[in-house]
Amino acid sequence: MDGGIMSTVKSKKLQVGTDATASNNFTIYQPDTPDGTLKIGVGNADSPTEVAQVTSSGLSVTGNLSVTGSVPANTGPAFSAYLSANQTISSSTFTKVQFNTEEFDTNSNYDNATNYRFTPTVAGYYQINSSIRYDASTTPTRALISIYKNGSDFKRGNDLGNNSTQSVISTLIYFNGSTDYIECWVYITASTAVVGTAGPIFTYFQAHLARAA
Amino acid sequence: MTLYEKIIAIYPELVDYDFAMRDITLQNDSDGKGDYIKEWNHPTLAKPTQEQLDGVQ
Repeated sequence: MDGGIMSTVKSKKLQVGTDATASNNFTIYQPDTPDGTLKIGVGNADSPTEVAQVTSSGLSVTGNLSVTGSVPANTGPAFSAYLSANQTISSSTFTKVQFNTEEFDTNSNYDNATNYRFTPTVAGYYQINSSIRYDASTTPTRALISIYKNGSDFKRGNDLGNNSTQSVISTLIYFNGSTDYIECWVYITASTAVVGTAGPIFTYFQAHLARAA
Repeated sequence: MTLYEKIIAIYPELVDYDFAMRDITLQNDSDGKGDYIKEWNHPTLAKPTQEQLDGVQ
């Protein structure tokens, strides 16, 4: 407002440009049936081709997006934890691994003291990794990792045979951001089943938000 | 003697595959309460009773 004069123009479409070639013009418009979006298109107002739209949740682009400045990094939850000492378990018995030492836990979503579980408070799809070392001196004949979701066997890693020493899993899991949680469980068949450690190098459990819901 | 060892003593014909692939699932929640039978879906063998398990020496 300048000098006390303010004007309001109400229209469903606003064409910018009057070039004879339609693709040199742009149109800002509302859909024929309003749905809370503002669309930006290439072309004249009578037939624009949508290239982007704005809603209350943000901006989406139909084609490629080019940014000359910096893009904010993904700041979703991420954690990494490892075992501080060997954990001896019963042979052929799925047992929760007590990853009790955190390397990082950006959103305080990993419980490293009581339940050894990750309960992210941001909904989305999380990349999960775990690696577990087994004590080869106990001659394990079978070893595998299972990621339990909400208390049940959910995703398994490679199923190793005789004299196994290292098992890994990498998987993608959806979390609702409130009640969903995961734990890392292990199954070893051996004379004395031992989840071995060597600091954070061999036996760890990690997750991070890969894509928001 | 672990729960697994007791079950093997009762049913020597069981193999590791039965325990790894969810016909039988033994579990330990790492909460100090020990091992327990989470699932018993074996097609021919009945879930052992507590009396059978207690009787294994």
